[in-house]
Amino acid sequence: MSQSSVIGAGTIVRGNVEGDGSLEIFGRVEGDVSMGGDVVIGEAGAVRGNVSGEKISVQGAVQGDLRGTDAVLLERGAKVVGDLSAPRIGIANGALVRGTVRTEGEPALSPNKRGAATVLKPTAFAAKPVAKAAPQYAPPPRLADEVDDDDDDEAEDSDEHQAVMLPPARSREKEAERRPPPPVLPSLGKGAKAKKKKHRD
Amino acid sequence: MAGTVIGEGLSIEGDITSDEEVVVQGNLRGKLTSSDAVSIGPTSVVQADIAGQSVSIAGQVTGDVTAPERVDIQAGGRLVGDVKAARFTIADGASFKGAVDMEV
Repeated sequence: MSQSSVIGAGTIVRGNVEGDGSLEIFGRVEGDVSMGGDVVIGEAGAVRGNVSGEKISVQGAVQGDLRGTDAVLLERGAKVVGDLSAPRIGIANGALVRGTVRTEGEPALSPNKRGAATVLKPTAFAAKPVAKAAPQYAPPPRLADEVDDDDDDEAEDSDEHQAVMLPPARSREKEAERRPPPPVLPSLGKGAKAKKKKHRD
Repeated sequence: MAGTVIGEGLSIEGDITSDEEVVVQGNLRGKLTSSDAVSIGPTSVVQADIAGQSVSIAGQVTGDVTAPERVDIQAGGRLVGDVKAARFTIADGASFKGAVDMEV
């Protein structure tokens, strides 16, 4: 029979802890924790090592990876430096995390954990680079924005900008667009026609 | 409730240091030090030196036991190791092998 265990606030464990029951940690553990049941790391609890369990909920500090077969829940006040992986991951407002977060099942990440983590990093953080890239490249894109506007409607107004900014292929198109206005030159033509008419007349 | 409970089914390999009551019902290999009471439950297997204010043993312990107050081996308990304590009792049905130092 498995029974729930408690590591109290005044207790320090230096070494690995493993079992098939559940464990509540209110003290310090310096070593890996591997449980078959739930793991609770209380407000004053601190773990320096990897933690695995069915459902891991953290209110304290962890320096190491958290792997839950069911869930990893970081509650308010939690401080985690390490990777999180579980089918369900919850990070509450007021919880701090530095590491990779992956909502995945056990089988995928068990074989070569490190490799999988590095491979999956780009997708996992796909949102971040995009978000960062926008502000970084913000200054140059201003010009790009103008170019875009030019494409739409203000083509004639900012001809100079186009000439500088647009790539060759497009500038040709623009030039093609620009040509229609020159046909205003036919104003000469008008006169010519009038002259011709006059002549005819 | 005790401050720290190493439940049945839990195994610790390493040192435990505590300033509160420690109850061991699982497995421990290493060292257990507490400034409060230590209780080794009947289901536990401990290979460790134990130091506590008082130590009660109902499980299997291999290692030296030190307590300024008292050491009690309960019925069914088994201790292989030296005992150093002011008071020491061995219950009927307990087994013990080791030296005793009662600081006479």
